[in-house]
Amino acid sequence: MRPRVNPALFFLLPALTLIAVFYVVPLALSIYIGFTPLRNWNIAGGYLSQVTLENYERLFHMVMYDPDIGKVVATTVVFTVVTLAVNVLGGLALALTMYLMDLSGRELSLGFRTLWMLPRMTPIAVYSLMWYYFFLPGEEGILNSIAMRLGLIDEPVNWGNDPDLLPYGAWAILVVVNGLVGVSFGMVVFYAALRSIPREQIVAARVDGASTLHLVLYILIPQLRWHITYVTVWQLLSLLTTYAHIFLLVEWGAVDEFWGSNWALYVFNKAFALGESDQGLAAAAATILVLIGAGLGVLALRLMGFGRMMAEPRGEV
Amino acid sequence: MARLALRRARAEARAAERVMGDVETLRSARRAYLLAAVLGAASLPMVLLYLLLVLSSFADTIVTGPDILEARYSLDNWLMFFRGEVAPAAGRLYTTADILATIANTAIVALGVTAVVVFTSVLAGYAFSRMRFRWRRGLMTFIILLHAFPGVALIIAVYAMYVWSSMPLARSEGAMVAYAFAFTVLARASLELPMSIWLMKGFFDRIPWEVEWSALIDGASRLRAWWQIVLPQVKPGIAALAIFAFLAGWEDLIYVHVFLYIGTAGKVKTLATLIEELTANIETSYLPVVAAAGTLYLLPTILFFVLTQKLLLEAYSGGLKA
Repeated sequence: MRPRVNPALFFLLPALTLIAVFYVVPLALSIYIGFTPLRNWNIAGGYLSQVTLENYERLFHMVMYDPDIGKVVATTVVFTVVTLAVNVLGGLALALTMYLMDLSGRELSLGFRTLWMLPRMTPIAVYSLMWYYFFLPGEEGILNSIAMRLGLIDEPVNWGNDPDLLPYGAWAILVVVNGLVGVSFGMVVFYAALRSIPREQIVAARVDGASTLHLVLYILIPQLRWHITYVTVWQLLSLLTTYAHIFLLVEWGAVDEFWGSNWALYVFNKAFALGESDQGLAAAAATILVLIGAGLGVLALRLMGFGRMMAEPRGEV
Repeated sequence: MARLALRRARAEARAAERVMGDVETLRSARRAYLLAAVLGAASLPMVLLYLLLVLSSFADTIVTGPDILEARYSLDNWLMFFRGEVAPAAGRLYTTADILATIANTAIVALGVTAVVVFTSVLAGYAFSRMRFRWRRGLMTFIILLHAFPGVALIIAVYAMYVWSSMPLARSEGAMVAYAFAFTVLARASLELPMSIWLMKGFFDRIPWEVEWSALIDGASRLRAWWQIVLPQVKPGIAALAIFAFLAGWEDLIYVHVFLYIGTAGKVKTLATLIEELTANIETSYLPVVAAAGTLYLLPTILFFVLTQKLLLEAYSGGLKA
């Protein structure tokens, strides 16, 4: 006798409920809010019943003529591209170094792998605090203190705000802070992939007299092609939408407000500013981000053939 | 006969390994240690960053490196922090109860997220690993796409839902605070769901299906087979998932900032928003005390790290390979 309701529904119900309430409904609502003039969280104020294209017109106008938004757009592009390169290449370098270390037969890399995971797991407020101390403009800033002791600079530098250094000072800070968090993803994926390469191939290459450089260039890296694509696409998507690790640095004034904000952070601050806040505009700007993200996501699925990961279940009687 | 053949095969494999072991895959052990030294040098700035935070929490000033020996160290900052004297210059003091409540609030969010994530993704991961139903492929693709979804687009609408749904509670402060906690936990846990479901699916996939199958044949219900046969086998996976979820709830800044801090007009603080608030008032804040708060906040993360590093790394890469 077959039960009338598929038992899978029972197992899926809690997760699907949460996904419906906290992903599907908000997504639709967010797109809708983008077409309304909602501001200052005045939900009961009747704003939500006025449908308008005004937010998109304003956004277009701002991108074209508002220099501050121009800075945010430039920051988004540079920050995303440079951090992506740092994350993928850095992760690759770390994984290769660790793999080669372990090839000698000693498990030397475990401690290092854990260490490089740490920034990802560190409470964001603490992580931001550490970098805040590091780039503090006065003499008590770690970077200033060290550079002055070494005689590289005569007086303390305001790394994230000095007009002479902008925008590069602020950009460098963003890339360093986020790069260190993102690099562990590539490291873990690449290291796991390298470990799964049959040892015979390494031995054969060595017997044929391959140097370590040749081993890396002609044996190891070619086998990581799929993983490199995977990490690149995945990191691109998360970098496009990340803002948590920059949020406090901007709020605390460690970096310039606009040269230090990417699009996602700009959206967040527009919606959650303590004084005048504008959810309509923020939602419209977020919708644009969703469209770009969705496009890249679909492209990614195509590129990587996710079908492989979704083999049919074994568990059917 | 069969056993003999097996033994011979094993012996041959061992011999082959010995031969391969003679070929130096890395030219010398010295080179391995050289690589380790290079990597160590590259990691040094990061270690320094954490070390200086911890040292500063005991010092009378922010320790910046060169002055590591000049600073005076004591427990003063920690005592001040636990007494609530976190911004002495402004004369704006907290009470001991505030600080303890702040720590408790952080723990409530982290434990709540753990409970919700473990409960929902262990159930869903099993369904995706073992059951056939309509829309299975579509749902799985959808869920992995959700993970890449811009969180900032969600949080605006989720907060709008929060503002709207909490309107009837505005009269009672207690109900409002409880609702803010529930909302924070559920919203933050949902953010972890896509990755967790995939992680759990991976753990279930690795368990041989035969035992469970025979239980089902013998007439056990799906639920009973899941509870009594399968779950005990994925205990390490559940432990890894729980640790991940706890750390995710513990490290969070944005959701506690939005729902607990803004959402209750600053009444409910966690360690994250406390640090945010203290550092924002740069004129009044006394940074060494903030460093003590930061070190305390960092403690569980480090603890879990040292205790479970192998498990974490395995789960992280296992979940990715799925």
